[in-house]
Amino acid sequence: MAQKGVSYAKWGYIFSIPFVVTFLIFSLYPTLYTVVIGFTDLRGLGKTAFKFLSDPFENYKLILANVTFKQSLANTAIIWVMNFIPQITLALLLTAWFTTRRFRVKAQGAFKVLIYMPNIITAATIAILFNSLFGYPKGPVNDLLIRLGILDAPTNFHLQKWTSRGVVAFIQFWMWYGNSMIVLIAGVLGIDITLFEAAEIDGANGTQIFFRITLPRLKTIVLYVLVTSMIGGLQMFDIPRLYLLGGPDNATLTSSVFIYNQAFSGSYLYNRASAASMIVFLIIVVLSVALFFIMRDKDEAKARKRERQLKRRGGAV
Amino acid sequence: MKRTMRIMLMMLLVATLAVSLFAAGKSEEAKPARKVINLWSFTDEVPKMIEKYKALHPEFDYEVKTTIIATTDGAYQPALDQALAGGGDNAPDMYCAEAAFVLKYTQGDAAHFAAPYKDLGINVDAKLKEADIAPYTVDIGTNGSGDLVGLGYQATGGAFIYRRSIAKAVWGTDDPAFVTSKVGPGWDKFFAAAEDLARKGYPIISGDGDIWHAIEGSSPQGWIVDDKLFIDPTREAFLDIAKMMLEKGYTNDTQDWTDAWFADMKDAGARKAFGFFGPAWLINYVMAGNSGGDKPGEGTYGDWAVCEPPVGFFWGGTWVLANNKSPVKEAVGKIIEWITLDSSNTGLQYYWANGTLDGPGGTKDTVASGTVMQKSDGTLPFLGGQNMFDVFVPAGAFATGKNKTQYDETINIYWRDQVRNYSAGLKTKAQAIADFKRMVADNLALDV
Repeated sequence: MAQKGVSYAKWGYIFSIPFVVTFLIFSLYPTLYTVVIGFTDLRGLGKTAFKFLSDPFENYKLILANVTFKQSLANTAIIWVMNFIPQITLALLLTAWFTTRRFRVKAQGAFKVLIYMPNIITAATIAILFNSLFGYPKGPVNDLLIRLGILDAPTNFHLQKWTSRGVVAFIQFWMWYGNSMIVLIAGVLGIDITLFEAAEIDGANGTQIFFRITLPRLKTIVLYVLVTSMIGGLQMFDIPRLYLLGGPDNATLTSSVFIYNQAFSGSYLYNRASAASMIVFLIIVVLSVALFFIMRDKDEAKARKRERQLKRRGGAV
Repeated sequence: MKRTMRIMLMMLLVATLAVSLFAAGKSEEAKPARKVINLWSFTDEVPKMIEKYKALHPEFDYEVKTTIIATTDGAYQPALDQALAGGGDNAPDMYCAEAAFVLKYTQGDAAHFAAPYKDLGINVDAKLKEADIAPYTVDIGTNGSGDLVGLGYQATGGAFIYRRSIAKAVWGTDDPAFVTSKVGPGWDKFFAAAEDLARKGYPIISGDGDIWHAIEGSSPQGWIVDDKLFIDPTREAFLDIAKMMLEKGYTNDTQDWTDAWFADMKDAGARKAFGFFGPAWLINYVMAGNSGGDKPGEGTYGDWAVCEPPVGFFWGGTWVLANNKSPVKEAVGKIIEWITLDSSNTGLQYYWANGTLDGPGGTKDTVASGTVMQKSDGTLPFLGGQNMFDVFVPAGAFATGKNKTQYDETINIYWRDQVRNYSAGLKTKAQAIADFKRMVADNLALDV
């Protein structure tokens, strides 16, 4: 008697329907709509009717010629690099400390929670807090520096381009290093423990183990952190917007703040804003692909190539 | 047992869903009178007025749902625009607009959302005449086809608000008439007074933002003339004025609406600032609360007086508008009429002018209705017993909507940023103007 197996597969599809429907309506459709209006004349508040431009790339050309847009791209890149280098360095260092087998860090859980904490606070709150901290002519930072004798008179930090960029980068770094650390620790815990034991028996010291075993094994996770942080960094919006509205003199104007300004701050240039977002999207895609290519496992790629060659040869024989 | 519970729960859930769907379908069909008014505002002023209105009129049985978003960082407009454009049951029925952007909602890009007052059941012409409403308020609130769509309840002509004790220390008298003759008319006299004060160690104002509102409001032309960016010479002069005042120590170099600016209102700044430019609302809603006290003798409370400014200007004010797609127009109309056009002793403006909205002893303000102003008393303990209406009522004559544009809020942010960079010596004047023009061209797609 042949027994029919029970198939649960359909339930998988049924249960994912709500997500798929929500995604199609609230994510995919708006995204496609954005792509479309980049080629139209849609601008102005409350307008929904639009027609396609005779030169479909007119908005793209205008945006690419827009000095402020170029400036915003440069700012985004600068601020992201300023935030990512210290972020990954500190996250790796903390990961090494928390996962080392030489000694046990006491109260690890408490440390991890404390380090992760800034990530829970809303970015908006922190941006406004820092704006007050660096206030001029009266503000906690100014007061402190004067009392310590570092400054003679209050300095207007809000007019210093590099200070402002530094503050935005710092907030970004401070909010996200804990998150990166947690991801990296998870990655380390996934490494085969026998590798560490073998290295220890062979007499490797902590530094050697970290650079020769942990880091190479962690490559995919580091790549993941790098790519997600890059995508997040290129979309940086709330902190620069609320810290100084993209000022002073556009020093913290990121591409997302620029796009927001195009779409919502006066003339409602929806079409140009959409063109600008598509350009930023393309930049993210290109950079992500480039990162994957650079960080690919060269040995594995070579091995696969050799295998293929062997197979081909085998087939010929 | 557990299983039956679960089934029961499921059935209950389905039942509620079905009922709510059914109810929704029904209300769509029959359109029973909605008893909710959605109100959008950027302060709690208008929401509080409506509470008072409801207390005075128990028969008015509408529920008011309030959304308040501050205008700081330019957050209010985008949110309101989306809510208006989105429509539906939660769209604003009644909304407030500030002087910096009201033209967008009465005459500009968002004018098509506004309902004419006459469609709200208001007898506009008769009421305007009876209340003797300040003409600039009406000009600003009238749309392209000549219909009145918005009115303010305040009159926001500006004065110079100064410290009595400092005037006495420097000139030996704190008489408003004398100080008026010292600080004006015209900027030359103002800077001569600033020099007097600076020599005694007092900056005449707190920061460049204070004088900017006077300069902005007194300029003959607005930012946009014939669809092109126009920098009025009066406004261009602000670059050098700001730099000169900073270099000569005429200000404490604060920025308006920051902690240091508020600190100057209670002598917590580096040096005691002599005065501020502002309308009556600045005194009552900003300075009084930041003076470090709430009766004479405490903080700087009671040590202030108002006099005529070197140039006439107006700053701020709230206009009240109704959504022309609102299903509750009549109810909104009743509130709007009470707020903007009722000149009786039980109208909002009478309470507002005399500070009796929440009982006696509240903050007083100048209002749009001349009829109400005539029967109101502007004596304030904060001003050492001076009747502020003596100065503010004539100041209202300078108020004009002709130098306003719908993009003022955005353009002013760019302009002030460049002025600060120039006055701090970070760039040349030509560079600052060029960068300002580029910002306007790049972000607003205006010809420069």
